[in-house]
Amino acid sequence: MKKSILFLVGLVGSMMISINAFAHFQMVYTPEAALEKGGEIELKLVFTHPFEAGHTMDMGAPEQFFVIHKEKKNDLLKTLKPIIWKSLTNTGNAYETSYKLRGMGDWIFALTPAPYYEGSEDAYIQQITKMIVNVAGAPTDWDAEIGLPAEIVPLDKPYALWTGNVFRGVVKGDGKPVPFAEIEVEYLNHEPVMGKNKFAKKAKVKAPQDAFVTLAIKADANGVFSFGIPKAGWWGFAALGAGPSTEFKGKELSQDAVIWVKAVDMK
Amino acid sequence: MKKIYIIGFLAMGLFIAGQAFAHTPLCSCWDNGDDTITCEGGFSDGSSAAGVIMRVTDSDGKVLINGKMNEDSEFTFKKPSMSYIVEFDAGKGHKIISKGEEILE
Repeated sequence: MKKSILFLVGLVGSMMISINAFAHFQMVYTPEAALEKGGEIELKLVFTHPFEAGHTMDMGAPEQFFVIHKEKKNDLLKTLKPIIWKSLTNTGNAYETSYKLRGMGDWIFALTPAPYYEGSEDAYIQQITKMIVNVAGAPTDWDAEIGLPAEIVPLDKPYALWTGNVFRGVVKGDGKPVPFAEIEVEYLNHEPVMGKNKFAKKAKVKAPQDAFVTLAIKADANGVFSFGIPKAGWWGFAALGAGPSTEFKGKELSQDAVIWVKAVDMK
Repeated sequence: MKKIYIIGFLAMGLFIAGQAFAHTPLCSCWDNGDDTITCEGGFSDGSSAAGVIMRVTDSDGKVLINGKMNEDSEFTFKKPSMSYIVEFDAGKGHKIISKGEEILE
């Protein structure tokens, strides 16, 4: 009896540890970041663990979702439709929409999700997320600071990275750089299957050890970080607790700044 | 002494021209769905294509429409009934050809 209880405690304990070892990532996903022509693109908003395609959290109704193109803001919150996203281990409430890109330039999609209550930490997480799509190579908005409370401002075009390039960004909280910000980096290791609202079973890479699942890096004294991209695909960066809000409904809140970048192989 | 000035100006001129060629011209066209086509132009460094010559020709090269990019670097024209080609002409080495059948909504 004692032994089995101990075993259970151990099992639960190790499960909790392994859950904590992987980072939550708010995704604003579309398959291609650098398009040759405009047209309609599909977007999926999923709160998940992208490296493992693991536990997908239920998103509440987002606070804000908009797009900026040539400094003009267009509210997309009302276009969001709820979907159920299937991870390799569960399903979670997520959202989708589509958007027609007309002309050339950068479109910055920005999502402020509802704070998510993480039971294992007895705290809320709110990952304010940017994802940038470009048409025809004309740079218009990618480096803009768009005034989010927690924001990563890119120093390299998030859609024009070769595999092996360095991606740099400035972590900002309330418009000010966050010195030595803690940043989690994760690879989108399972291809999202757009039509089926799920992750592909097949993993692209295998991590030799848990430290490689969620890579933890830090910004310098000026809030600037850099990361060499080792593989083609989408990479997420989450600067933890960068935003000014630290409390929600009487509990601790981590207001994180997330950005997604996509690298392609030189062929 | 005068010679030095001339060389200086010449070098500056070359430098400016060199800068102008360091970026790539960009042009993207779409069908507005109302029998008009809009093309947007620009350069890879983000600079404007306002004033750039736009030419619409038939497949034999006969000019159908002559125009220029407006201040928003856009050019809208009536969609020709025959197959056509759009030329963005920002000078030597800065031309972009778009085929009509590849211009979609």
